[in-house]
Amino acid sequence: MNKTARFIKPISGTILVLFLFSIPLFNKEAYLLHILIMSGMNIILAISLRTIATTGQMSLAHAGFMAIGAYTSALLVMKLDFSFWVALPLGGIASAFIALVVGYPFVRVKRVYFAMLTLFLGAVIRLIIMEWRNLTHGTSGLLNIPPPNSLSFFGLFHIVFDSKAPYYYLILILVLISFFFLYRIDSSRVGRTLLAIQQDDSVAESVGIHVNNFKVFAWCVGCFFAGIAGAFYAHFIKTLTPDSFGVLQAIYVVVYMVVGGRRRLYGAILGAFILTLLPEFFRILKEYQPFVFVGTLLIITFFLPGGLVDLPKMGISLVRRHRAARVSHA
Amino acid sequence: MSLILLAQSLLNGLAAGWIYILVALGLTLVFGIMNIVQFAHGEIYMLGAYCSYFLIKLYGFSFWEALPLSALLVGLLGIVLERFFFRPFRGRFEPSIIVAVGLMLLLQTIAVVGFGTDTKSMGGIIPGVLKVSGVTLSWDRLLAILIGIILVAGLLFLIKKTKTGQAMVAISQDPYAASLQGIDVNRISAFAMVIGCALAAIAGSLMGSIFSTSPFMGTSAITKGIAVIILGGLGSVPGAVVGGFILGLVDGLVPPLLSSTMAGIVGFGVIILVLLLRPRGLFGHE
Repeated sequence: MNKTARFIKPISGTILVLFLFSIPLFNKEAYLLHILIMSGMNIILAISLRTIATTGQMSLAHAGFMAIGAYTSALLVMKLDFSFWVALPLGGIASAFIALVVGYPFVRVKRVYFAMLTLFLGAVIRLIIMEWRNLTHGTSGLLNIPPPNSLSFFGLFHIVFDSKAPYYYLILILVLISFFFLYRIDSSRVGRTLLAIQQDDSVAESVGIHVNNFKVFAWCVGCFFAGIAGAFYAHFIKTLTPDSFGVLQAIYVVVYMVVGGRRRLYGAILGAFILTLLPEFFRILKEYQPFVFVGTLLIITFFLPGGLVDLPKMGISLVRRHRAARVSHA
Repeated sequence: MSLILLAQSLLNGLAAGWIYILVALGLTLVFGIMNIVQFAHGEIYMLGAYCSYFLIKLYGFSFWEALPLSALLVGLLGIVLERFFFRPFRGRFEPSIIVAVGLMLLLQTIAVVGFGTDTKSMGGIIPGVLKVSGVTLSWDRLLAILIGIILVAGLLFLIKKTKTGQAMVAISQDPYAASLQGIDVNRISAFAMVIGCALAAIAGSLMGSIFSTSPFMGTSAITKGIAVIILGGLGSVPGAVVGGFILGLVDGLVPPLLSSTMAGIVGFGVIILVLLLRPRGLFGHE
């Protein structure tokens, strides 16, 4: 790698982050910020699911773990008067704890069966929330969840969560933290171990890797961030019903990740971002709008098997083929 | 709970169980042959119900004419689905999930746009109920059970006794080895898809006549169908039958005892436990 190339990544990253931080300064439109916040949440879900998927396991319980985080945080704030800033991480920890409890028996189940097992786990979590009426109010849901407590720094400036902008900054910071954390895992020895397990877990086992420990680790980390996203969701939307965490929501997270391309971390980000924004652009189509979403899904699955991250590679190979064709003609 | 109520719930559960089995058979066939979890199968079931509804209400067919016609039409749709949607992704879990989910949303949107979101009733098949010492069962449900038994028997005969059926078994064991024996994997895949879609269409038509049709009726059917085949073991036909029975019984017995939400928790809980003890389902094998 030459000297300039080494600086491209951090510099373009910094510019992107600065740009993202400046959006609310020049565009205060609530609608735009709302969909950006929603896509931020989906980004956290997609990149945390990717960490689970790097061990070769596909989780369809992500919406369920999001629900655990959401209900934990909302109930802690509403019933026990916790501060939001304590309840948010506790939401994530509750999710990770449940994940740890079921983790070891679950990871013994492989591939499609694991995906289906998690599908049912997600369904059971949702049904338990529906049934536990005196805590969660069942299908009528939790209403009027308080916004995050306002912050003040040394009495100098106060942040009150009364418009979309503070929520936007909060989710942006949460996305950056989870990205940084998951990126560190990805590029560490642990990340390479996870990849080895994905390729062949019996070979990984044979070279002395405790496959189950690593699988449970990835599963718990993924579920932790799903819980964080859920806790944020609870205090942003301010209403929780079990129907927001159905099987289809869990499948959507898988769709974000696969369409973006899970070979790279930014693939999941790209997928979640584009697929959250896309339906919004086609609002005018009303009930025909899902056709755009489905069309995008199918086109990408058929023509970009590796997801959106393969787009540059695909472009380069197309150009090369074109050049080669021209040379052979001449 | 009185004995009569118990018998009544058992019978209701059995009737529901046979509908689940019909949906699950198609899923398990498609999985066995193509290694694909067909999430859009519930939408095929929904299309089957609408197909019967329109044949009866718009074209004046009787239920007995509409049922096979709908199975045939939806079965033909299966050929298209196999060729253009699933063949390129045979045996690849992630892209096949995306395609199936895309297809699910596509068919659901078509139904919403084309048929409207209101529920439609095509009317019962045979009016009246059968009463045996206090237990009542509508003729419609009895008929659903009967049709279910006939179709399962037919499918088992097809698999055990015909060459095509044996080719299906061979492919589900090893597609590569089967193709070396001169079995046309593509043709058999299409055949399995057609059978699966036709069975789903029949299940949908029966459900549509017992209750009513709606563009979203596929969602609960696919959840039940997947639950049944996972419980029984993916790709296993006897497994699907046993799994359907168990889930039907849970759905019949638990709601009067506890609540319908508890039925879901118990049903899925049973599946999770079975998977933890037998990671490939009751009838699945390594």
